[in-house]
Amino acid sequence: MKCYKSSSILSTNHHPFFYKQQPISSLQPTSIPTTISYPTRTRFSSTRIQSRLTHDDPVKQSEDLSFYDLLGVTESVTLPEIKQAYKQLARKYHPDVSPPDRVEEYTDRFIRVQEAYETLSDPRRRVLYDRDLSMGFSFSFSGRRQNRYDQEVVEEKSEWKAKWQTQLSGLRRRSNQKDNNTMSWAARMRRQQQESS
Amino acid sequence: MAEAAYTVASDSENTGEEKSSSSPSLPEIALGIDIGTSQCSIAVWNGSQVHILRNTRNQKLIKSFVTFKDEVPAGGVSNQLAHEQEMLTGAAIFNMKRLVGRVDTDPVVHASKNLPFLVQTLDIGVRPFIAALVNNAWRSTTPEEVLAIFLVELRLMAEAQLKRPVRNVVLTVPVSFSRFQLTRFERACAMAGLHVLRLMPEPTAIALLYAQQQQMTTHDNMGSGSERLAVIFNMGAGYCDVAVTATAGGVSQIKALAGSPIGGEDILQNTIRHIAPPNEEASGLLRVAAQDAIHRLTDQENVQIEVDLGNGNKISKVLDRLEFEEVNQKVFEECERLVVQCLRDARVNGGDIDDLIMVGGCSYIPKVRTIIKNVCKKDEIYKGVNPLEAAVRGAALEGAVTSGIHDPFGSLDLLTIQATPLAVGVRANGNKFIPVIPRNTMVPARKDLFFTTVQDNQKEALIIIYEGEGETVEENHLLGYFKLVGIPPAPKGVPEINVCMDIDASNALRVFAAVLMPGSSSPVVPVIEVRMPTVDDGHGWCAQALNVKYGATLDLITLQRKM
Repeated sequence: MKCYKSSSILSTNHHPFFYKQQPISSLQPTSIPTTISYPTRTRFSSTRIQSRLTHDDPVKQSEDLSFYDLLGVTESVTLPEIKQAYKQLARKYHPDVSPPDRVEEYTDRFIRVQEAYETLSDPRRRVLYDRDLSMGFSFSFSGRRQNRYDQEVVEEKSEWKAKWQTQLSGLRRRSNQKDNNTMSWAARMRRQQQESS
Repeated sequence: MAEAAYTVASDSENTGEEKSSSSPSLPEIALGIDIGTSQCSIAVWNGSQVHILRNTRNQKLIKSFVTFKDEVPAGGVSNQLAHEQEMLTGAAIFNMKRLVGRVDTDPVVHASKNLPFLVQTLDIGVRPFIAALVNNAWRSTTPEEVLAIFLVELRLMAEAQLKRPVRNVVLTVPVSFSRFQLTRFERACAMAGLHVLRLMPEPTAIALLYAQQQQMTTHDNMGSGSERLAVIFNMGAGYCDVAVTATAGGVSQIKALAGSPIGGEDILQNTIRHIAPPNEEASGLLRVAAQDAIHRLTDQENVQIEVDLGNGNKISKVLDRLEFEEVNQKVFEECERLVVQCLRDARVNGGDIDDLIMVGGCSYIPKVRTIIKNVCKKDEIYKGVNPLEAAVRGAALEGAVTSGIHDPFGSLDLLTIQATPLAVGVRANGNKFIPVIPRNTMVPARKDLFFTTVQDNQKEALIIIYEGEGETVEENHLLGYFKLVGIPPAPKGVPEINVCMDIDASNALRVFAAVLMPGSSSPVVPVIEVRMPTVDDGHGWCAQALNVKYGATLDLITLQRKM
């Protein structure tokens, strides 16, 4: 029997069938996203004699840290400071330099730190993240935010593809909102801000 | 010379960690190996610095070939060629790095048919047929076997000099290698009794060496220095690779990678075609003469070429540099395109670059230097690395870091944050390639996307995984596939299918898939985990067969999630 760890970074938000999606502003700040847990085994077969880090170095298991908390910086941090914090944490958590017996948990931590770095070092994504944070979504790994931020990367490269995709009828039933795909990023942002106001 | 015997490991995946046979009081050492298309080198951390090993003829650079004469294969590590042309009689197989993991529809394989050993293709997407001429008979082999024979000799040479068993290696690989090619390289290493700690894209090995140098110069500051941006251009006989790296405090972060299977061999073939008389078959003499001319053009504006082809034909002509650059224009344009793409992916302007590092044999070509310096807006090329040794030194450093070796002086306070050279994704929305892990994602990485069904009451979904940069799946490499079964009956578009991809620090790729129904908080059927690639051979055939068998009945479409 497989045992799935709770440290997975995946999470998802579900809606009942035919359930109309609420506007973002009406979501409760205290809602906790559910997660899909995938196994996180890391094949790591080198024989390690020495550890660069003390074994009692704590790895925080909490998943409710914000991206700023993960990087150990304040919300007024500058870009060079973000880069420096990221590199220092990389030298701490990257599997190449982590204690051999704790590669799994350090890798998980590293991936989260990496996502925090990618989001906060991109000015546009940081604005989106800051807005979500101010609305009370303090969880750094909710599926909603992750899908949005990751999708940006893909959409930047293939926004033209989205314009040609057929809107799914099942999704259309979930929302009476206008199709997002044909709008530019700026237009989507403006509409979302209008919905929030 | 003692016969170099080797044992072929089983083809199944090595799931267990290799037992260490070294004394427990000594850390397991890891070799760095840079197998170039034309020559290779091997290095190891000797306790205070990187040491490049030499063969019995005191050579740091060892020719990459294996001869099959006298029925006993012998590699270039220990074998002494009587003369340069002996490699061109058909008994020797070289350029194996260009042939490993390729199918017979590949243009690189077709270009290799000009070589003196036998390369046959059926042009149907299977492995090419390779053979060496032994006692006037063609003896078949495979590129992986040739590579394994060569690696055995490297290992024996290293063990003789280090006086201890050697099992772990860090191997440099071209950026443009597909995952299938990487698995073939790992297989060749396994056949040679070597365990691969890391397969390191070549420019990132050089980036690690550069990071160490920066660390040493700022070590007195006892802190991370300011970040330096470097462009690393590496062009050898078979491949051209580019990386943009941000380095600070011993951490080398790979911001972008780009690679192409072009190199000195293409330049050589173009030059041979240019100077050869019409209808003249490419011969060993011609090859040696062209090679020599190209080398001399590095320092001279024009060179005299005199070749007696032995069949009554003679070549006597002057080749000037402009002419040489004209016949190789497409190669040089590809070099420029790679650098431009890499800078764009890294979101770096030429003027922001602190150091331009050029390595590999082709980095000596004046035209190549001029082009890359112009694109990067640099007047000078970084002088801190030896162009022919940098990659193997970086690989040895990575071996030491990954093995957990500690250096009291901080020489190994280093880290490489790798990036994925190619996107990995899913076939969906008809025949589209949907990246789940985009190109240049930092590694280790874990990302997922949601998909849904295309048919009412669809019970299964065919998850087909591809790697590459093309918009449609035909343009990319098929990595593998599996079926997701047990989807509860529902109208199309309702089930939520999550596909997650995980790349670990060893670059191992695993794909997970789960089915969720709206309102459900856990997968409704057991999650599937598949190690990729699963397709060993015949990618083209496999993709076509899947299409013929299943068509669009088990297709996926991306799930549009409302924010």
